[in-house]
Amino acid sequence: MKKISLILALIMIFTIFLTACAKPAEEEEIIKIGVFEPITGANAGGGALEVEGIKLANKLYPEALGKKVELVIVDNKSDKVEAASAVARLIEKEKVVAIIGSWGSSLSMAAGDIVNNAGVPTVGASCTNPLVTLSNDYYFRVCFIDPFQGTVMANYAYNKLGARKAAIVQEVSNDYSVGLAKFFVDAFTELTGDDNCIVATSNYNTGDLDFTAQLTNIQASNPDVIFAPGNFTESALLISQAKQLGIDVPMIGGDTWETPEFIDIGKDAVEGAVFSTFFATEQPITNESKVFLDEYRKEFDKEPAAVTALGYDAYILILDAIERAGSIEHDAVRDEIAKTKDFEGSAGFVTLDENGDAVKDAVIKVVKDGKFTYMDTVKPIQ
Amino acid sequence: MKRKDIYLTVVSLLVFTVFLIYAHFRFDAYKLRILNLCAIYTVLGLSMNLINGFTGLFSLGHAGFMAIGAYTTALLTLPVATKAQNFFLKPIIEPLSNIVLPFFPSLLIGGLLTAFIGFLIGAPALRLKGDYLAIATLGFAEIIRIVIINAQRVTNGALGLKGIPATTNLWWSFGVAIFTIIFMLLLINSSYGRAFKAIREDEIAAESMGISLFRHKVLSFTIGSFFAGIGGGLLGNLLGTIDPALFKFTLTFNILLIIVLGGIGSITGTVISAFIVTIAGEVLRFLDQSINLGFVVIPGITGMRMVVFSLMLMLVVLFYSHGLMGTNEFNWDRMFDKLSAKKLLAKRRD
Repeated sequence: MKKISLILALIMIFTIFLTACAKPAEEEEIIKIGVFEPITGANAGGGALEVEGIKLANKLYPEALGKKVELVIVDNKSDKVEAASAVARLIEKEKVVAIIGSWGSSLSMAAGDIVNNAGVPTVGASCTNPLVTLSNDYYFRVCFIDPFQGTVMANYAYNKLGARKAAIVQEVSNDYSVGLAKFFVDAFTELTGDDNCIVATSNYNTGDLDFTAQLTNIQASNPDVIFAPGNFTESALLISQAKQLGIDVPMIGGDTWETPEFIDIGKDAVEGAVFSTFFATEQPITNESKVFLDEYRKEFDKEPAAVTALGYDAYILILDAIERAGSIEHDAVRDEIAKTKDFEGSAGFVTLDENGDAVKDAVIKVVKDGKFTYMDTVKPIQ
Repeated sequence: MKRKDIYLTVVSLLVFTVFLIYAHFRFDAYKLRILNLCAIYTVLGLSMNLINGFTGLFSLGHAGFMAIGAYTTALLTLPVATKAQNFFLKPIIEPLSNIVLPFFPSLLIGGLLTAFIGFLIGAPALRLKGDYLAIATLGFAEIIRIVIINAQRVTNGALGLKGIPATTNLWWSFGVAIFTIIFMLLLINSSYGRAFKAIREDEIAAESMGISLFRHKVLSFTIGSFFAGIGGGLLGNLLGTIDPALFKFTLTFNILLIIVLGGIGSITGTVISAFIVTIAGEVLRFLDQSINLGFVVIPGITGMRMVVFSLMLMLVVLFYSHGLMGTNEFNWDRMFDKLSAKKLLAKRRD
């Protein structure tokens, strides 16, 4: 027993020693930008992609106002309680100038009140839920929001596909999917002027493998198009099962489809699946896109995901605001971020509206020959 | 209790209150948040310990009960305008949209509703024993979560709720925690508490002594759910936002971890380990960042914290197989005995 307590005591002393050493002496010379992302837990994959982009941006642009910019990355364990503590830590303990994060709107919302009360400017990379920035003066984001994405796909279905009757399959346990479906329905109803244009709505849960019941229901209602935003695994299975049942109407969805797994699971069945997303690698939108794409390919030897580009954009947007403000005062930086107009990001030009949401182009992609292929760019509605 | 013990307890409570007053005015938001979480996890741990530790019912339904408490409290305290903002998919059902209550009654209603649903679930499920009961309660917790996801007009479905007034502060969380500790102590030492323990040790023996198994099991389960609901309500109003994904099985696991670490069947153990688990998780964060030793910089590996945390848990479980406290409770006499024993030893060495 004695030995164990001795060892434990030694470990504790050592930890205290390490924490004491972890603080660099010349703290004044460093600008700290906090990053809170899910690095462990259910959303770790998405969080890792965003961190990749943020780190790359930090490598390319390591300085602001002549001072070194340091990233403080904290893990939020894909958990709301942890997300709130992590952000509180960034603000109170690390004294960060600004914060980036987080993948997953619900995690971002957990941080919302804290950054608003403390008055620390925060830029989300890929949190698309409209509630994140709503009535929060300090929360911004570099991605477009779900209402816009839903409208884009409704326009695509109505104009390009000539669809007049649509069916919805939504992942009911996923806030992103339900939100997108709702905005699609609103926009599509307005376009067709027909209150009965949505002929069927079916729900499934995250992790479901069999969609026969939902699909049979939809088949009977005979729609022109099926809008099925949701997680990539379930969506890919849904599409291949639809093909097996002989449903031959176009399937359209949202940006979550853009993962290699979507094609791996769906194989031939997902050919022709169309979705909206943030940017396309074969169509560099800005000069910054070119820089980002070149550096990313050099560093990781693969094609970047959209959220990686958005993480990159969140960082350079904050850096630009710090430069323009000429100070690291929270409110000065916040005001400069809020003024952002036609900012050149890697995933397109960013203009922030009065809610702090990015108004920017959406890209429509299609699965062609087992690859995501650029199809069209959609301008925001002014 | 001896008179000396009562004095000591009152004095330490006073000292603790002074500490809370100091913390309330001097601590930054980060430290306050962790302290609040410690208190809330104490409440949750105690409520689970009553069911699992003192009555010996292996129940894994805690996340579900917390969800009911959190949603009820949140929906009752949300201002009308915020409710309208939140429910942009489908409007909220009629009477609920205009009901706004102060925090305390909302919390109480949340607890009572949870207790009622705990009763409804417990009455049939408590006929099961051991692993089967665990599976049944786990299933019920999942059902609660799925119902919340699908009842969009009441709970806003998967989108969750945002803008819940952040009422939970040190007074609320520690007030409830201290009330829970005192309540549990009185309950455990009453005839009901003895009956719970008897059921835990041997059901047949307990029944032959005239203890109604069903009544006592349901009572313990209902009281446990009540405090789980209260804890959930406090948590929701601390975070300011809740959604169904928060109340997954992992949340139950977190609380189970606290009571196993502290000692199944010990109130003191639960309180200590609620504090240790919550604070250690934050203190270990430095492992995720790069460490500057002066002569060498170790680059940070994010996620290292969880590895070390798990290792520490394994050590505790290996060397203290009954948890930190086993089934023992804190006791002034024993503490003085230990202190004086150490002094005696030291004197003898001289």
